[in-house]
Amino acid sequence: MGFSTDTFLRRAERDDLDTVVAWMEHPDFQHFLYGDPARSPRQIRDQIVGMLGRAAGHTMPGGIYLLIDSKESGPIGMLSLQSISWRNRSCSLDLYLGDEKHRSGMVAAISVYRALEYCFDELNLHRVSAFIYAFNTPSWRIFEKTGARRELTLRDHVVRDGKLHDVYGYGLLRSEFEALRERYTRAAEGVRLQAMIAGLAGAESSP
Amino acid sequence: MIAGNHAFIRGAEPDDAPFLHRFYQARRPRAALLDQHREPLLPTAAELEELLARKDGLQGSFYTIEDLTGVVRGFCSLRGANQEAGFADLVFLLDDDAAFGSPLAAEALAFILARGYGRMGLRKILGHCLEGEESLRDALTAHGFESDGVQRQVLFTAGRWYDMETLTRFARPGEGVQAPRRPE
Repeated sequence: MGFSTDTFLRRAERDDLDTVVAWMEHPDFQHFLYGDPARSPRQIRDQIVGMLGRAAGHTMPGGIYLLIDSKESGPIGMLSLQSISWRNRSCSLDLYLGDEKHRSGMVAAISVYRALEYCFDELNLHRVSAFIYAFNTPSWRIFEKTGARRELTLRDHVVRDGKLHDVYGYGLLRSEFEALRERYTRAAEGVRLQAMIAGLAGAESSP
Repeated sequence: MIAGNHAFIRGAEPDDAPFLHRFYQARRPRAALLDQHREPLLPTAAELEELLARKDGLQGSFYTIEDLTGVVRGFCSLRGANQEAGFADLVFLLDDDAAFGSPLAAEALAFILARGYGRMGLRKILGHCLEGEESLRDALTAHGFESDGVQRQVLFTAGRWYDMETLTRFARPGEGVQAPRRPE
């Protein structure tokens, strides 16, 4: 599986619509993210497509929706920053990776890292929250690796497939993200990431 | 109107707006008065009066708590109901921290919990407490609420960050019976 470290965020273009709609039509999209029996899939789709088309950066929006793109693989997924409070400098982060094979491992980790960089370095936020269903283990594991703390366990809080599930509430403060970045920067001094990746790829392919 | 041994609980009316406004004017933040972005609101008394008068607004779901002499002591309500998962957030405001340990508070809390589990059919009710709301927290834990955890530095106001704790109380077997009603 190829992956790229040059993953970047951008606003959705008109040409991205088919890709985004295809993601939203996948049952996983509703299962892991925006499942709401009170709204039809079409209502949810219309809302998200509308939000993706909104401009970010010129005003102080309550939500920002961006695509995660990669030069190698094309659009990988969608990032949504919701409940942005400019007063509290906080937001809630949702991330959806369209291709299942990207949902764990390096691509997901890089996507989350890019999202956090955007929150702290561009939007100047102080805190990023994420509410992740307990059964979505790959997601909360990746978020924990960023240094985020599991602050809440909301018991029996969401219904999926007729069953109640716990929801975990994570919080990551700017100081914690900066500490993480400094730690990895120190560890990687003198090491080129591409060389590391090439080394890992070589190790995986060897018998 | 619900008449207990220590409190009268009735649907809030437009005339209650000045009392409700005082809670918003207080310098100390209250979790129950934050909006969905966890930001403090600054409504005017007139706006609150209009809200309490609207048939599609808070009327019928927002309650005024009076003591037996008819003095307004606070308000209670359930907001943000999620019908699918069966939960809602508690709003419980009293004018004096010491009152949270009083029989008046116990009656009001029992009333709103019964309302939630009974009439609204909720499975659980969530309460939120900021730092400085220890009296409210004590009242909630005394009534069976258990902590789900603390979100760090979620609110910036009065020149500092505030943590917020979320507590949950699940409906117990046999709950949902309405408090006794007095003929109006």
